[in-house]
Amino acid sequence: MDDLTTNPGGLTNAEKDILHEVGFADESTRAGTSILADRQMRVALSNDPGVEILPLAQALRTYDFVQGLMFGLVDPEENEHVRLVAEHMHDPLGHFIWIKPGAKVKLPVQSFTLLEIPQGRQFTHDITLIDEGAEVEMISGSAVPAEVCRGRHISIGETYMRANAKCTAVTVEHWGPEMEVYSYGYSRMEAGASFGSTAIMMSPIRHHTSRSVSVLGAGASVVSQSIVFAPEGTERVLASETRLTATGARSQDVTRMVSAGGTIVNDALLVGAAAGTEGFLGCDGLKLSDAGEIRAVPSLSALAEGAQLSHEASVGRIDGEKLTYLMASGMAEDAARDLIVRGFLRLSDEQIPEALRTRVVAMVAEAKSGGM
Amino acid sequence: MLEISDLCVEVAGKPVLDAIDLTLKPGEIHILLGPNGSGKSSLLATILGLPPYRITRGTIRLDNVPLADLPLQERARLGIGMAFQRPPGIDGVSVAAFAAALGAEDTLAREAAALDLVDFVRRDMNVGFSGGEIKRWEILKLFLQDPRLMLFDEPESGVDLEHVIAIGQAIRRIVSSPDGEGRPRAGLVITHTGLILRHVAADRAHVLKDGRILHSGDPATLFSHIQTHGYSVPDAA
Repeated sequence: MDDLTTNPGGLTNAEKDILHEVGFADESTRAGTSILADRQMRVALSNDPGVEILPLAQALRTYDFVQGLMFGLVDPEENEHVRLVAEHMHDPLGHFIWIKPGAKVKLPVQSFTLLEIPQGRQFTHDITLIDEGAEVEMISGSAVPAEVCRGRHISIGETYMRANAKCTAVTVEHWGPEMEVYSYGYSRMEAGASFGSTAIMMSPIRHHTSRSVSVLGAGASVVSQSIVFAPEGTERVLASETRLTATGARSQDVTRMVSAGGTIVNDALLVGAAAGTEGFLGCDGLKLSDAGEIRAVPSLSALAEGAQLSHEASVGRIDGEKLTYLMASGMAEDAARDLIVRGFLRLSDEQIPEALRTRVVAMVAEAKSGGM
Repeated sequence: MLEISDLCVEVAGKPVLDAIDLTLKPGEIHILLGPNGSGKSSLLATILGLPPYRITRGTIRLDNVPLADLPLQERARLGIGMAFQRPPGIDGVSVAAFAAALGAEDTLAREAAALDLVDFVRRDMNVGFSGGEIKRWEILKLFLQDPRLMLFDEPESGVDLEHVIAIGQAIRRIVSSPDGEGRPRAGLVITHTGLILRHVAADRAHVLKDGRILHSGDPATLFSHIQTHGYSVPDAA
């Protein structure tokens, strides 16, 4: 692997335990595994001929076309954070995941980022190419050991979905409580591509800005849900832009936010740029205390006749009637509140793997009791 | 089991129940009859401890334990359960998740079949349920909770005839079976239509009007009287 350190199977048991919390499973049960720890690609491994995983720096040297993908969806000068990552363009840290044309990948592909150095700085750039007609399930996440509270992570992700590619993805984030994280995700979906995503952002974090831009071509579709929790001391700023650029492009984006004293800002823009496009934005918030804020700003922009766009936004508190109803069966008030919050966040959704669901349910309980 | 003595209740300063006396023995089913607004639902809500009912006089005891100062969930844990007339929908909380929270997964598997609710376990509680489905679910919910004293608030309203039979049989079954600790149960049932009387062997009926018990007696006789003469005292008709 040239000058880059990759070490298949080289994770320590402690590292595996940390990653298990966000969806990691033994490499043998995955079609491919990418693990980035601190400033090294620790694992870049594929068990499937339809999947290639390389450190991005190596991919740039191996495949000429990867150069065209890097900063293909975002201007390196877009903002100070992107500029910081772009400064490492000559020696980028991150993965290149390539699902080959027509590959029907049976097992999930997993990719995770670990920050193990307290006060560490991480600037990463990942590129994912899901080629024409390929199908894959992705599980990804980020995690820190318990002793890492502070640190800074900036990431850029560029995802290319070629014509008729299909992908379902689950992302679970678990950073340190005093960390600053800025993540930028850009995707381009060509004709007929479909993407289903679930993003889970539950753990305490001082500040996280998550910006995403998706551009959908003819007949491409996205169904995405984000589950966002902000305990006291947490600030999460989500900014998304979905552009439906050709006939038949469809998007459904639902964000469910719970503030237990933290702040969540969700600024979502849906653009219908062609006739025959259809999109929906949903932002639902649940406020569990007087501290913090939930701000939902769904925006619709129709640029063509025949673009059908809609949104719904609501913020409320736990309904006393529901609480009473559950307690009338003998549940303690806290247990009844937990059940309602878990229901609101749709934590029973089948799109969330069982192992992750259990962990996320525990996160809600821990966060509400102040244990996280 | 349940002893209500001289019970007076108000809501926001307005009296809703006045000098109610009622005794329910283990194994008994009593029926509450009365026009809308007569205080039937208020009585059940007061027994269970639902807000905003406030006791201003009198006592309610379950197995000699005074209930007035106990919060809702404590009363439920003592063994009081209610089949609600109009329960709220709870998005994202499936019937199975609710049963798991009560530790009653085995009971759910067994009793859902008896109430023709097998397909319900993955559905969110009361979300998109038809009127009849809600009533059946509320009975199933009591099986999950396993209470000793069961309060049924119009269990047959909005239910088609086929399912009235199933609900009646389910009420009879749960009331006639001992609770998890082998103790006999009892039930208090509000009915407007009287249909449930064909399927449940009720021991006694009480007619409420204007917050008071106007008359108590044999359920079939009283219901027949009401059908002919309205909510009045039979001897005075």
